[in-house]
Order: sequence, then C-alpha cells, then structure tokens
Amino acid sequence: MSRVMTSFYIRWGVVLLITFVIAFLGFQRYQKDVASLTPDQILQNPSPNKVRVVGIIQGGSLTREDDSNRAFFLLQGVDKTLTVRYQGHDTDTLRDLKIVVVTGRLNAGTAELDGEAISLIPNYGFVVAAYLLGILPTFFFLFLMERKLRLLYTEVKEAKLYEPEAMDFDKE
Amino acid sequence: MRRLEGWFGLAAAIFLTVGLYMALVTSPPDYYQGEVVRIMYIHVPFAQTSLLAYLVLFIGSLWYLWKKDPVVDNLSHAAAGVGAFFTVGELFTGSIWGKPAWNTWWTWDARLTSAFVLLLILMAYLMLRMFMDDREKEARYAAILAIIGFVDLPIVYFSVEWWRTLHQPLSVSQRGLAISQEILIPLIVMSIGFYLLFTYMIMVRTRMLYLGHLLEAKKGRLLSQAHL
Repeated sequence: MSRVMTSFYIRWGVVLLITFVIAFLGFQRYQKDVASLTPDQILQNPSPNKVRVVGIIQGGSLTREDDSNRAFFLLQGVDKTLTVRYQGHDTDTLRDLKIVVVTGRLNAGTAELDGEAISLIPNYGFVVAAYLLGILPTFFFLFLMERKLRLLYTEVKEAKLYEPEAMDFDKE
Repeated sequence: MRRLEGWFGLAAAIFLTVGLYMALVTSPPDYYQGEVVRIMYIHVPFAQTSLLAYLVLFIGSLWYLWKKDPVVDNLSHAAAGVGAFFTVGELFTGSIWGKPAWNTWWTWDARLTSAFVLLLILMAYLMLRMFMDDREKEARYAAILAIIGFVDLPIVYFSVEWWRTLHQPLSVSQRGLAISQEILIPLIVMSIGFYLLFTYMIMVRTRMLYLGHLLEAKKGRLLSQAHL
C-alpha cells in the first residue's frame, strides 16, 4: 500500500474512533437520563435509588388533587401494575391510558412509587435511527470520494509514466 | 488550494465533533417534543446545506454560461452531486422525525413536496451529465436545467410561510427567534460544521471530476496515438 493510502486510512481511523467515542458518550447519557424500567422490572427488583418507570396510566385509576399538585394512579406494565403517588408540576396533563415516564423512588414498605417528575416517552429509537442514517452515509460518501480521488491521482501519475512506452509501441 | 481544502476538512471535523457532542450529550430535551428534538440538530443542517448546494449550482451555472469556464462547470457538477446527497439526507431524517412528531413518515405537504422536487431536479441534472457524449453540450444543457430548476428553491424555503403546512414555520424570521438558546447553540454549531463539510466535499469532488476528465482525455489521446 502506498504512503498516500496509508495516511488516508489512518486519518479515517481517527474519524471512526472519534465517532465511536461520541456514540459511547451519547449511550452513557441515554443510560443516565433517558433509559427507563417497566413496572414489572421495578417490582421484581426493587431499588432504593431514583428510577424512571415507563407505563400506561390504567383507565379509571387517575385521581387528582389540583390544589396540591398531587395525583394518584396505577401505572400498567406487561403483567403488573405499580401504584404511583405523584406530586409535582403538570398534573393537569395526565390522562387515562396515556403513556408516561415517571421519575421517583420506590417506597419499600408500601411498594408504591413516590413520583417527582413526569415526562413524555423518549422515543429514542427515532433519534438513533436519524443519526445513524444521517452521519454514517455522510462519512461513507466522503470516504468513497476521497478514496477515489487518491486512486485517480495514482492513475494519472501512472498514465504519465506509461506515455513514452505507448509512444514507443506506436513507433514499432 | 489543497492546503485550504485540508483546513476546511479539519474545521468541519472540529465543529461536527463539538456539535454532535452537544446534540447527543449536553443539550436538554424539549418541553413538548422531549428527546425527539435531537433529530433537529441533524435534519436542519442537512436541509440548509441542500439549499446552499443548489445555490452554488445555480450561480456556477450562470457563471458557466457567461464565461464558459470548465473549472466552474466542474464545481457546479460537484455541487449537484453533493447537493443530491444532502437532499436525500434531509428527506430521510425528516421522515424519521415526522413519525413521532406528526404520526406519519410522509405527507404531501408543501415543504416536503418541494424538497422532493428539488431532489428530482438534481437527479435529472446528474443523469443529463451521465448520458451525453459531447462535453460542451452536456455542460450547457445542464447549466440551463439548473437555472430553470432554481425556481423551486424559494418555494422550498418559503413554502412554510406561503401555505398552511404541517411542517413548522421558519424558526428564524422577521417575527424573531422561535428557539431557546440552549437549543439554538448546538444547532448553529452543527450548521457551521455542515457548511464547512459541504465546502470540503465540493473541493474534493471538483478535483475528483477534474482528474477523471484529465484521465479520460489522456487515455483518449494515447488511444488515438496508438491508432495512428
């Protein structure tokens, strides 16, 4: 492999490495701030730490105390339901059968979740898909263009070298 | 020129690294859209760069028809190829954003339709450049097509203002700024990164096309000499 191509592949190796580092940092942030458990998972493995639980508000289970910004509801998982006692903002946005992510701590005694914050389902798969479909083809497109450019350079140089030979062949 | 190209490549790499870090790690989720807003940091720069590419193609085509400069023709050809790529990126990332935001992958909305038409114009331009034998005619016809196709560019840009569409209106307009600073900064960084990347790509592709033509001419000359 020529020196030009070696330096080209090293440069692209560095680009790939940086991309992996950013993807890893993004994944860490996802685990820390976005990833959530289901009610089944939290009830099977109770944790004293703050957790995010995703589920559907069971139909007819929602009761609200508007004055105190409190709400009570059952969060439906696959097989189990989790009782949530929520105190915080946006209680008026809660609706029966709405999918929500509740952040809070599990009360070990009552097996109920003391919710502190409610957020939308993250739909993070769409974010990952958009970045994969955006960034990877861009890098691949650029990689192919740069590679072709270098190969053309080599070919042009070689064509110059072989020119006298072709002319000699012509004379014969 | 090659040194300048390197600097553009390096600057693009730095801006994109910082921009991607901000977009995926440090920027906050949106109040209404949540995490899905992160798609904006890649979709909007794709869309902006696609328009920029067509603008370069348009100016290059006018310049070519006026001065008949083959270097400018190569530049226009390069802008069309890169522009088509960015338009496809815009449509794909937009479609992925559309599903969680509008509950549909695609709709014949004015902005989406005009962006799709822009892609068709670019494809027609590239096809015209592939299938014609006479290089001068090819460049002239392609330039005329690019100039006629320019009519779609203001339609793409202003469609969200001229018609009531599903797509959101312009975030930066005479009405002011419709984005919070926390979201605007990563968007600006990514946009600058994409502009620099586009410039770098154009430079690489222009040289690539030039060398391709050079090689073709050289081979043709050698072949004609061999047949004498």
